[in-house]
Amino acid sequence: MSANNDEINSLLNQEYKQGFVTEIEADTFAAGLNEDVIAQLSKVKNEPEFMLEYRLKAFRHWQTMPSPDWAQLKIDPIDYQAISYYSAPKSKANAPTSLDEIDPEILEAYKKLGIPLAEQEQLAGIAVDAVFDSVSVATTFKGKLHEVGVIFCPISEAIREHPELVKEYLSSVVSVGDNFFAALNSAVFTDGSFVYIPKGVRCPMELSTYFRINASNTGQFERTLIIADEGSYVSYLEGCSAPQRDENQLHAAVVELVILKDAQIKYSTVQNWYPGDKEGKGGIYNFVTKRAYCKGDNSKVSWTQVETGSAITWKYPSCILKGDNSVGEFYSVAVTNNLQQADTGTKMIHVGKNTKSTIISKGISAGKAQNTYRGLVKISSKAENARNYTQCDSLLVGDKCGAHTFPYVEVRNPSAQIEHEATTSKISEDQLFFCQQRGLSAEDAVSMIVNGFCKQVFKELPMEFAVEAQALLGLSLEGSVG
Amino acid sequence: MSISWLDDFRQHAKTQFEQTGFPSNRLEDWRYTNVSAMAKKEFPLATMASSPVFEGSKGGSAFHFVLVDGFFNAELSNLPKTITVCSINDAIKNHADLLQSKFNQAITQTHGFIDFNTANFTDGLFIHIAENGVLDKPLQIIHVATQAAILPTRHVVILEKNAKATLIETFSSSENNAYLTNSVAEIFVGENADLTVYKVQQESETAYHFGGNYVQQADNARFTHHNFALGSVLARTDIVCDLATAAECELNGLYLGSQKQHLDNFTRIKHLQPNGISREFYKGILNDRARGVFQGRIVVAEDAQRTDSKMNNRNLLLSNEAEIDTKPQLEIYADDVKCAHGVTIGQLDEKSIFYLQSRGIDEATAKHILTFAFANEMVDKIAIPSLRESVFNLLLTQFPEGAER
Repeated sequence: MSANNDEINSLLNQEYKQGFVTEIEADTFAAGLNEDVIAQLSKVKNEPEFMLEYRLKAFRHWQTMPSPDWAQLKIDPIDYQAISYYSAPKSKANAPTSLDEIDPEILEAYKKLGIPLAEQEQLAGIAVDAVFDSVSVATTFKGKLHEVGVIFCPISEAIREHPELVKEYLSSVVSVGDNFFAALNSAVFTDGSFVYIPKGVRCPMELSTYFRINASNTGQFERTLIIADEGSYVSYLEGCSAPQRDENQLHAAVVELVILKDAQIKYSTVQNWYPGDKEGKGGIYNFVTKRAYCKGDNSKVSWTQVETGSAITWKYPSCILKGDNSVGEFYSVAVTNNLQQADTGTKMIHVGKNTKSTIISKGISAGKAQNTYRGLVKISSKAENARNYTQCDSLLVGDKCGAHTFPYVEVRNPSAQIEHEATTSKISEDQLFFCQQRGLSAEDAVSMIVNGFCKQVFKELPMEFAVEAQALLGLSLEGSVG
Repeated sequence: MSISWLDDFRQHAKTQFEQTGFPSNRLEDWRYTNVSAMAKKEFPLATMASSPVFEGSKGGSAFHFVLVDGFFNAELSNLPKTITVCSINDAIKNHADLLQSKFNQAITQTHGFIDFNTANFTDGLFIHIAENGVLDKPLQIIHVATQAAILPTRHVVILEKNAKATLIETFSSSENNAYLTNSVAEIFVGENADLTVYKVQQESETAYHFGGNYVQQADNARFTHHNFALGSVLARTDIVCDLATAAECELNGLYLGSQKQHLDNFTRIKHLQPNGISREFYKGILNDRARGVFQGRIVVAEDAQRTDSKMNNRNLLLSNEAEIDTKPQLEIYADDVKCAHGVTIGQLDEKSIFYLQSRGIDEATAKHILTFAFANEMVDKIAIPSLRESVFNLLLTQFPEGAER
């Protein structure tokens, strides 16, 4: 048995392949946070007055809040004054309007990450909004989206050009004082994506954002707001990475989704922030608030996440199922290795009648990592005939890691049907033996079993991401399979 | 008479309680249960009743240990001759060394109710079964409340190697008044020893109840607990078990809430050593404005390889105002384990209702029968026929329509 474990462990050692640093000139604020910094930030971004008020309100509230400590995480205290709250690649006087104007160094960085923007424009048919440190560098495919009326742009641009939409929906799902990290984000967010899908429009392509933290000592606070108007549909992809650094970097994002009547949003994330080295040095603190508001009847939201990176993940993509017959889904694979910690899960708040939710969570814990599922299913008294199915499985690889399952179920309506199942086990000797006996090597067998374990989630990912996710999983766990 | 070692415990607990008071629902383990209304009642401590109105039942199929308002009543009791069973106040005098070596040792994590108990307990049961000893009949601990007061009792139960015993603990009142039961039991199950505990909680409908069992299981020790939470306006049961190598733990529970009852069941099973087995099965039926809470936590420590653990919680809600909050948790630090938990909340099976209807039973009756059967599954697990029958009869009073056939 222990021989087998050693073998698996030896396969776990792999390098972080996105850990390069791009040398570019950047405008970076001095570290520190106070009302002046926020005013300066708002000014640099050329924001209307209401945004400054919004940010200051959030900042004042944030100062009164304690950092949350209820998660199953060990977090070293964070010095919020040691972080720079704005870092932008030095731009020419005006923001770039086409790919030709983008700094070739940045384009090269994205190429290394496997998202050549130029190529994608022609081949993949995915519109990419790339966020480099704090500002959006390029948004591809703008023209084509414009034809059908879809707005897909950096949120800073939306604040200037579509203030009425931003005013109506920003913080309508995650209020400025919702939690410690959301309040911080509201005060200092620098950029992010904004999407508006008009009535009855099925977005002709998948929208995608790529986040990358490049500069050291900066935090990334991006804000995403997606509005799917009545009868519309959009599939949105998000990927993340960061260079290898010894110090921890903070990433506190907020994502808000608003789904109106008969609309649907599919939101997929592959998160591969730098996880820190084998001794747990460095790595990203990924403290993210994601929430979808199924406002209209028959609306639907689907979260799919593959979390392989970050030193610490604190993330609970949630669904508020307000509209009658609305549907919320959560599919998650969370992999932790070495000294990574993840406390992640979802909240399904059933408010409307005949609302349905599904939660499939797969946690894989290896090395000395701690992996926690934490979720809430709440059925309010008005939510007639609500239905929830939850399955959380944990896989342990090695005897130094931990896997924890903390579901909360609160039901106030007798017509609700709730099923929750959870299991924790290791890769069974029998399964390994069966594969090896049929000629597979131990590592191929492990890879196959782990992929099978995650299959329910991977099949929810869009094609491009499914391939990337499997590759990432391989990277995180098996090393040089095959 | 003042005993210095005990006074130290009491003093420490008193200081602790003065600082924290009864648990606040800001604490994670108490998030669904708010005891502030109870704390505001400021019940006095019970005093020894002059003439208990309770009739003891001598002889029969069980031994009896009777606590009236938290004080041992020897006249009403019927104790075994060959095994050490006495009040804890007697044990302080006659079994001081043994008691001192065990007292407070099973409690690994404390809270306001336990601190209050340690500081103020008036009496309780002490039982010590020597190596290979067997208690040949079940021992029934009968709590009777007559006063509007706090009734703190403390039990210490020690089973040495290979010992075997069955305890039945019942809580009831002679008057229909408000009071607070605060009962803490420390239980030590020795190597290969076997203990079964039945708890039948039928406090008055305005009473408050806290009952905690804190169990230390040695290698190969077996502990089985059956919890029937039926009475009181607000009741909380704690069952906390620490398991050594190859120890086995089985926890069963049934909570039936109606009117404005609030029934909280908190369990924590901690596997500290390899090869342990635990099984947990709790069922709840909530009617009217009742609220049920199930909190089950299974912890598997780093050394506890090859642990096999299963937890299941099933609930029926019968009214629009009833509520269930359930929190099954797995906290696992070892890899070679088989752990699972499951929760369901829902209604009776449509097909079963249809089946009964197709046999000529109207829908309402069919539902009653199935609800009764849902609860009766837990009653069927009682191994003592007379107890099974009396709990069955209690169930009948809750669901009279259910047993028409």
